Amino acid sequence: MLLSSVILVLQDTLEAALLVSILLAISYQQWNRVVWLPFGIFAGMVLAFLYASNMSEISEWFDYVGQEIVNASLQILTALLIVVCTWALFKSRQFDAGDGQPQKNRFASLFVFCAAGAVALAVTREGSEVLIYLGGFFQQKEYLQTIVAGSSIGFSIGLSIGILLYYGLLSLPSKWRLNTPVILMALVAGNMLSQAVLQLTQADWISSTRALWDTSDWLSENSILGQSLYALVGYEATPSAAQLIAYIVGMLLVLASGTVGKYSKKHIPATRRTPS
Amino acid sequence: MTVQMTGKMSNWLLPILGLVAGLYSHSVAAATPVIEIEIKDHLFHPSEIVIPADTKVKLVIRNLDPTPEEFESYELNREKVIAGGSKAVLFIGPLPPGEYPFFGEFYPKTAQGKVLVE
Repeated sequence: MLLSSVILVLQDTLEAALLVSILLAISYQQWNRVVWLPFGIFAGMVLAFLYASNMSEISEWFDYVGQEIVNASLQILTALLIVVCTWALFKSRQFDAGDGQPQKNRFASLFVFCAAGAVALAVTREGSEVLIYLGGFFQQKEYLQTIVAGSSIGFSIGLSIGILLYYGLLSLPSKWRLNTPVILMALVAGNMLSQAVLQLTQADWISSTRALWDTSDWLSENSILGQSLYALVGYEATPSAAQLIAYIVGMLLVLASGTVGKYSKKHIPATRRTPS
Repeated sequence: MTVQMTGKMSNWLLPILGLVAGLYSHSVAAATPVIEIEIKDHLFHPSEIVIPADTKVKLVIRNLDPTPEEFESYELNREKVIAGGSKAVLFIGPLPPGEYPFFGEFYPKTAQGKVLVE
């Protein structure tokens, strides 16, 4: 029981912690902004509580696949918020004065707003699972101590990895400091869309097809490395074509929105515009 | 409705819609086999189910325990929380023949089972 609770809570914590680290590293590096984080986490905790406490009813929606539909919606929304974040990040950098000082502008505000939203949705999904898990053991107190201990260990390990990643991203050499978190955001968005497709397949809203390939002999999802890669980049030993396409679409959306943000015309406020 | 809209549709959209509609009607028309599983005392009953190869199957899982459980399988790529005393539906397959273990993630010591695809 101890080990399984460590693993379960670690998996859930890791997925959320990863997203937090990436977004926080960007917002701190670019504009010294970190205050959005507690708001995002708090909103996520409230939503997770509501989701978990209404899980029985939600599961009955859409002919007993309500859970899949809600999860897929949360994942798609998270991916879209990450896409907007990337656009806002590059758009905001057009306003940098070039003196190394962070420039606060409305695109920076858009970034932190969407980042808080993305974190809130991630915490909702992962947090609700942990709450339901723990809730069950509060009903049957036999294993409660073990489960609480295991969950605390799992949470601490997940949090530590998140913190390591955060400081890792901050200590990168300057030429990598922007591109690395953006590539990670692309991976997270791809992973989110791929997981959403999986949920919709499980609900039979998307036709299921045979797996494209099977790498379970080479790297099992059961193994520690397989599980870590699943949490980090959404590794699947037997992905479907729809999942692979969704993953690529998610990555391309992030990279494209970054490019558009970087090279689109800088908007000049009307008051400062000089007559031609 | 499709006929009325045809005039407005570009040439590439119709075949795609037709394909989607075809896939949809196919999935509805072919009767999907239903398999029922119960969870009691953190055990799956039956713990071994047999399904035909290359066929989509609807799993109906009833959790008779007061505690929640999570149906999980890496091999089937499936994961679903089932609240105590409630029912869940999920679809698996089409799958190639083989053995696909599943387990209850909340009580993995006892809640173990497998899907045999033949």
